[in-house]
Amino acid sequence: MVGSTGMRRFLGRMPFLLAALAFPALAFAQGNTPAGPFDPHDLSGVWQFAPGGGGQGPGDNFPPLTPWGKAKYDANKPGYGPRAAPGGNDPILKCDPTGFPRILFQIWPFEIIQIPGRILMFFEGQHTIRPIWMDGRKLPNDPDPTWYGYSVGHWEGDTLVVETVGFNEKTWLGAQGQPHSDEMKTIERYRRIDRNTIQFNLTIDDPKTYSKTWEAEPRQIKARPGVEIPESFCVASEEEEFNRRIREPAARQPGKE
Amino acid sequence: MSKIRRGFWMVMVSVLLFSASTSAHHGNSAYDETVRVTIKGVVTEFIWTNPHCQVYLDVTDKSGKVVRWAVETNSPAILTRAGWTRRSIKYGDQLTIILCPAKNGAPVAYMGSGDPGTKVIFADGKELDFTDKTLR
Repeated sequence: MVGSTGMRRFLGRMPFLLAALAFPALAFAQGNTPAGPFDPHDLSGVWQFAPGGGGQGPGDNFPPLTPWGKAKYDANKPGYGPRAAPGGNDPILKCDPTGFPRILFQIWPFEIIQIPGRILMFFEGQHTIRPIWMDGRKLPNDPDPTWYGYSVGHWEGDTLVVETVGFNEKTWLGAQGQPHSDEMKTIERYRRIDRNTIQFNLTIDDPKTYSKTWEAEPRQIKARPGVEIPESFCVASEEEEFNRRIREPAARQPGKE
Repeated sequence: MSKIRRGFWMVMVSVLLFSASTSAHHGNSAYDETVRVTIKGVVTEFIWTNPHCQVYLDVTDKSGKVVRWAVETNSPAILTRAGWTRRSIKYGDQLTIILCPAKNGAPVAYMGSGDPGTKVIFADGKELDFTDKTLR
């Protein structure tokens, strides 16, 4: 029984050790499976636009286009919506980054991760992380143009308000080919209205492309308890092969090889 | 449709109309999502890649001519949530597939979560569809 005191001491501490070991796992499980009363300022967990995706974009009901916007819109050949045709030049067909806000509206879920000073959105589509700075900083005056822009957020009551600027002009706002410019500023509003639902509003302000501010149709985002985000890159070399074997034969005009 | 139906053994055209889906991935306007076609063939390849998994199968017509069909479907993540694995379909499997054909009549098609009714049926009657089993 040599060492039994030590063993008893060790066993006595077991609950604390187990709790310490289990805590990260518990925290993770709760993030994926929101249960019990919800904290409106805690959006962590896996979510998806209802129902089963976001309709491929912020909608067709956009404001009148400027001449610059119209030229860009006409050049976009989408696979969805009233102008849909086989083939087309949707940039994501080459695995270009989907960009913001389009990535929100795709059929894949995303995880919201809240850490000190930041909220991270981790998208299944393209396995992409989008940081939202929550440390009180201002939007940059002259940001480099990027696919997802530069985002800062703050709470207004129970609503998370996220402002984003600094977009490049390479992405579409949705699969219907809605264009935007590098002058675009977006404002998102997320309000958790129950354990499983976030009310979502999006404002798109892009005077170079649209003649007035675009208030996108309000949407609901639903919790996806139990869902984990697996690795899901869009790999250009694999997409090229897919295009050669499936997309191009399916889009070819009849009678042409 | 007659182009597709003609010549293929065991190819049936469903006359059921489906509302065109907007929840499929992208670029789906190449497919006719208002109809469902059934093909039966032997698997030559099952590709488990992002963002589109693919099934290739040889379909034999009455005269014995073999046509290689290419079927696009969802991402591994979506298929996993629907109960599939990368081993669900194997080389040599005899499959019946209900799918949305290419509008241009090519032996290329789509099946997936955006198009209800599309599914895979194995020789033993077992089925795989695209219903998300994690939704509660």
